[in-house]
Amino acid sequence: MPDIFKAEKVTTHQDHHAKQEKPHHKIKPKEGKAVGSFLQHTKSGHALSSFYYFPENVNFETKESEEKIILLLRKHFITNVPWIFVLSLMIVAPLLLTFFPVLSFLPESFEKLAILGWYLITTAYFLESFLTWFFNVNIITDERIVDIDFYNLIYKEVSDTTIERVQDVTYKMGGVIRTVFNYGDVLIQTAAEVPEFEFEAVPKPDRVVSILQQMRIEEEQEKIEGRVR
Amino acid sequence: MEVSSFLGTTFFSILKAFALFGFGLYILFALVVIRQVQLMTRTLEVGLEWLVKLISIGHLVFAVFVFILAVIAL
Repeated sequence: MPDIFKAEKVTTHQDHHAKQEKPHHKIKPKEGKAVGSFLQHTKSGHALSSFYYFPENVNFETKESEEKIILLLRKHFITNVPWIFVLSLMIVAPLLLTFFPVLSFLPESFEKLAILGWYLITTAYFLESFLTWFFNVNIITDERIVDIDFYNLIYKEVSDTTIERVQDVTYKMGGVIRTVFNYGDVLIQTAAEVPEFEFEAVPKPDRVVSILQQMRIEEEQEKIEGRVR
Repeated sequence: MEVSSFLGTTFFSILKAFALFGFGLYILFALVVIRQVQLMTRTLEVGLEWLVKLISIGHLVFAVFVFILAVIAL
């Protein structure tokens, strides 16, 4: 063919730029997942905290080996004030016997044992109140929301749902005490068998909602990228 | 006088029996609390399990101590 029909190859700026780009590769699904990639991995809190962000040395019964705990929540510490007040009254109550000797009809040995018995009951009251506050927790992991409730001595309830089943998240904060100490209720509507999770009297409910929202965004991102575990 | 003394002695004997029964029941309650703590720490571990278990065992020891004291002193 005559040379006039052959087009000279002209290198354009776009072609030059294309050659300099790295070859495009298919995004492979990653094993595992980026845990809370939108979230700051800064631990905040301790074992007695009501708001423990990225807690260390925390484990629960149904936790998977690769699952990462993002947030551990309990009722705000201020909710313990009523029983602490009652407890302090119970501790000092026997001192009133010096002013109001209601047990004076009993022999001294009976009186002392009655006081010891009173302190036994006081110890039981403290134990039950503290254990109820300490072990009733709400946990947000990178995969699930877990609600652990101990209703009494021998009855516990553990509920969980995956983040992707969360449909609506609402928080309520009202009243002087709750506003001053910044705690409230977070209600989570799910598409699971347990239709609603309620985090009662948790600190920083706005922050909890924000974290849940970020987890939901990350779940959506993982679905799109094919990084679902 | 003898009757009132007898009634007084009987009354305190019954009171002692009730007290021992009550403290004995309380020991059972303390054992249930230890079991409850075991279940709780198995469900959730936050790093303070040793303290909670220590308090629950201390509670049982206190209950046993009061029971023994009641047996001796009453």
